Amino acid sequence: MSENTKKKYMKKSEIITFGIGLFGIALLTGWMPDYTATFFADFAFKGKGFDPDVMSNMISVVFLVAGIVGAVCELVIGYLVDNTRTKFGKVKPWVGFGVIPLALISMFVFVSPDTDNQTVAIIWMFVIYSAYTMICCAVESPANCFGALCSPDPSERSSAISIASFLRSVGQSGGMVVILVVGLVMKAVMGQQQFKNAEGQGLDLVISTGICCLGIILFTMIFFVNNKERVPFTQEKVSLKDAVKVVFTNKNLLMVSLTKLTGFGRGVYGTVSLYIAIYLLGSKDLKLGLLLPMGIGTAVGTLLVNFVLKKFSTKQTFILFSLYGASSLAILFLVSRGIGFNDGLIIPFLILNFFCGLQHGNTNVTPNIMIADCVDEIEYKTGKRQEGLAYAGYGLFSKIASAFTKALGPWLLYTWSGYLVSTDVNVAYAAQTDGTLNKLLMIYTIIPAVFVVLQAVPIFFYDMVGEKKDNIVKALMERRAAETE
Amino acid sequence: MSNKEKGFNFKLYGIITFISVAAILAVVCVTTFGAKYMAFHPERLAEFYVDTIVQTGDGYNAYKNTLVSKNMKYGDFIRKNYIDPAVNRDGNDCSDHSFKGEKTLSDDGTLSGKLIAQMYPVYGELLNTYGWDDYDSIFTKYIEKLLTVREEIFGDKFFNDEVFFTAFEANVSAYGKSLTGTDEVYDENSGVKLSDKTTGIYAEKFGEDYKITCETVSFKEGYADGYLMNADTDVLTFYGVDAGTVESVATAVVNVNVNGTKLAECEVSLVKIGMSWYVDNLNTDTEMLYSFYK
Repeated sequence: MSENTKKKYMKKSEIITFGIGLFGIALLTGWMPDYTATFFADFAFKGKGFDPDVMSNMISVVFLVAGIVGAVCELVIGYLVDNTRTKFGKVKPWVGFGVIPLALISMFVFVSPDTDNQTVAIIWMFVIYSAYTMICCAVESPANCFGALCSPDPSERSSAISIASFLRSVGQSGGMVVILVVGLVMKAVMGQQQFKNAEGQGLDLVISTGICCLGIILFTMIFFVNNKERVPFTQEKVSLKDAVKVVFTNKNLLMVSLTKLTGFGRGVYGTVSLYIAIYLLGSKDLKLGLLLPMGIGTAVGTLLVNFVLKKFSTKQTFILFSLYGASSLAILFLVSRGIGFNDGLIIPFLILNFFCGLQHGNTNVTPNIMIADCVDEIEYKTGKRQEGLAYAGYGLFSKIASAFTKALGPWLLYTWSGYLVSTDVNVAYAAQTDGTLNKLLMIYTIIPAVFVVLQAVPIFFYDMVGEKKDNIVKALMERRAAETE
Repeated sequence: MSNKEKGFNFKLYGIITFISVAAILAVVCVTTFGAKYMAFHPERLAEFYVDTIVQTGDGYNAYKNTLVSKNMKYGDFIRKNYIDPAVNRDGNDCSDHSFKGEKTLSDDGTLSGKLIAQMYPVYGELLNTYGWDDYDSIFTKYIEKLLTVREEIFGDKFFNDEVFFTAFEANVSAYGKSLTGTDEVYDENSGVKLSDKTTGIYAEKFGEDYKITCETVSFKEGYADGYLMNADTDVLTFYGVDAGTVESVATAVVNVNVNGTKLAECEVSLVKIGMSWYVDNLNTDTEMLYSFYK
């Protein structure tokens, strides 16, 4: 069958509504962690006279515990998804029905109890945020693996995953727009000072969360109504032991998951971006200026990957983008060193930041397509289709990698670079030596570049491409057709 | 056919879910907003107003809940009436970059710190002489002195709102710390000690573990007619408040208790405009709140 006459499984609208669903979920899940931290720290128990040091330490522990709960839930939910057999499919019920408790629990995270007891306040933070994390996992993880079920045709599902990944990455920043618009409307309705007073009580966060919750319901329902799982699930029940084994023993799946671990240091640039803005570009206000071109680059890169994937395999695309990413970061380093840390660096730095952002499109899209291919391979080998666990395994590795990044970034910044802290109450940021400034630039460019190269290493051992992939897809099609008959 | 799959109507489920969750979210948001937004609760507003002043001697920020801030942001009120005339003095715009001298351009915060330190006694003196009920004298005279001291330190006439707010708010904060004392401060990343522990006036007077609480002990709401007959409409107009929009007035008596013993009380006047209540700073005497510990 030629490309032009190839059977299409998905309606065009389904590709869009899959993306809309992920956009809605990302709108809320992208909003929650940062703004919950802000809410807990600054607003939830304002004026209660609680010890601020104890509270800030406890908030860190709350997020640490939630991270562990999230990692465990990834596997548990993956296992449960793979054992779900309903007339609507295995993933849709989790998303379509789970989104209601998710929206409600998210809202209640921002409704703190009126208590003067610090212990009660701390327990509430642990309980409510852990509950949110669990329910979030029960919706987000299945939604992410829907791509593997939307079409049996790998090229069709690749396009769907690319577009959905793009909309998801847009959704992750949607909360910033929501709070901006909520602020403008509140100012117009209440007046400037009254808005400031309400903002001081965290009420703009409450309303913005309400809107994000409504957003997730609206967009997820559009997805739930319009989208359909098109890859039939296998009937065998999977034991927990076998399920966990899949994550660590399927070579290709393990290689894709390992990209997260070997590339964990890619994200350390985020730790140092504020200092790059202050010391290299001259103003801390330029931090947003730094992140915006990179964010736009990421969005463009997400679309670009879709085109590259039409010409190259997933393996080639991943390696190509990784090499490009490392090169762009190296060029940014060399240009910065060439121009020097002065006003003349700002424009070239911001432009190059856009080009550095393009590589992130690859890490947003390609691994998701690879995992979908791995699910085919696992089904081909074992007769069991395990989307839930395949994506859960990748999610687990992502969470571990994220913990490593959070540890490495501050160590590089505050220990390795020799960063000097201001001890003068009137001077916010102390002057730094040239050696330290150079190291700050390296943390933003060269060090992530090394990890971008390292993330590509496991992919050299990935072989679910080309003829092997085509044969497996063909065999699965035939097997399913035989089962239908 | 995905909309009506095997007896389940997805569209109907989607619509019912959206409407039901939207209704629940709306109720939660409105209830939370209503419960937390101070301006809907006159008794709590009065208590909060007094508490802001007594905890740290902060009459400056207490104005954010008064008629002064009804129509514009408090900061903008100060800018418009006090800072802008000082910026645009002698026919010049002194906030222009060209007014920055060499010392201003090269200051790494050291000279700004010196300015703040030299202005602190000025702030204390103004507070003792006029008190925060006469905010007009405090702002006017502080800025007069600030212009002089800044010119002596920096050697130029540059002035803008940032210069004022940086110095003034640092002085307000330092005054508060003189009352409450401070803990040792360490840099959270490097562990370097940034400042020593200090004992404040409150701790010296009432003990290390002192506790100041405010409590509304009586509240009376009345009609706006009487208030409107005696209102200084010129000042209200200056605040951008139309006296005719005052719907209701109230008086709350707030006790200030230290370690459980009443040491002061304040009768706070409040007015209701629209759905919100504001402290009527024109009819509230706060002098006692700055002297109860003396």
